Amino acid sequence: MTEIRMEAAYIPSEDVVAREIEGELIIVPLAAGIGDLEDELYTLNETGKDLWARLDGKSTLQEIARGLAEEYEAPPGEIEEDVRGLVQELVRRRMLVEASGR
Amino acid sequence: MKRADVDIGPYRVGDSDLPLSGAAVLGLLEGVLSRGVPFRFRAGGSSMAPFIRDGDVILVSPLRDDSPGVGEVVAFLHPETEKLVVHRVIGRREAGCLIRGDNAEGRTADLVSPRNVLGRVTRVERGGKNVQLGLGPERLAIAFLSRAGLLLPMCLGASRLIRPFRKSSR
Repeated sequence: MTEIRMEAAYIPSEDVVAREIEGELIIVPLAAGIGDLEDELYTLNETGKDLWARLDGKSTLQEIARGLAEEYEAPPGEIEEDVRGLVQELVRRRMLVEASGR
Repeated sequence: MKRADVDIGPYRVGDSDLPLSGAAVLGLLEGVLSRGVPFRFRAGGSSMAPFIRDGDVILVSPLRDDSPGVGEVVAFLHPETEKLVVHRVIGRREAGCLIRGDNAEGRTADLVSPRNVLGRVTRVERGGKNVQLGLGPERLAIAFLSRAGLLLPMCLGASRLIRPFRKSSR
């Protein structure tokens, strides 16, 4: 399982193209050097989209979780776990990389 | 909102229950090509028949500072509708390319500015196989015939000649 560090900053991988279109964030993996609509695409829900927008390679996951906790009515510990879970999934799918690892 | 719901949902396009709109395909095509990477998607419509048919999967490659030549099939932003269109370059003008669908001879060609030409079609797949006809050296003849208004009559004539041969060869 991919180890996620909450004190680290993450940034979208160069192997994806993400575009917000008609209010929806769509992520196209550039598998084998092609952006392929016949392959799998990904979309994030509203909160995931909010998280994605904050992944700037500078803010740590802790800082992002704190920011989200201020905005959403959920216990900070729960938000932190959700952030960790989504980032882990996105890293596993090679859509995110740790900023220092670029 | 009760909790930060951060699930991601993968979905497939094609037989998906979340089909992409034309604007979405255009936005993604622009995003992918701007990274210098080809873009593969399923074409719709019959304006490029018989060389590209409804449901064919096409690969659009970046132009890389190389303007498309006569005969090439290109993806472009239509000057009036601002929609993504895939048609053939049948001529060049100072202001841009004259572009028209192979199956749209009765219609006036569109004059498209170079900045609206997004990429060139470099591969057509039909039924899982590559279809090269229409993208090779014959593309110049196709563009010439299209401009002369002779492409469709030629294609119809060819299909009449080929059909009986196919039947008798079974």
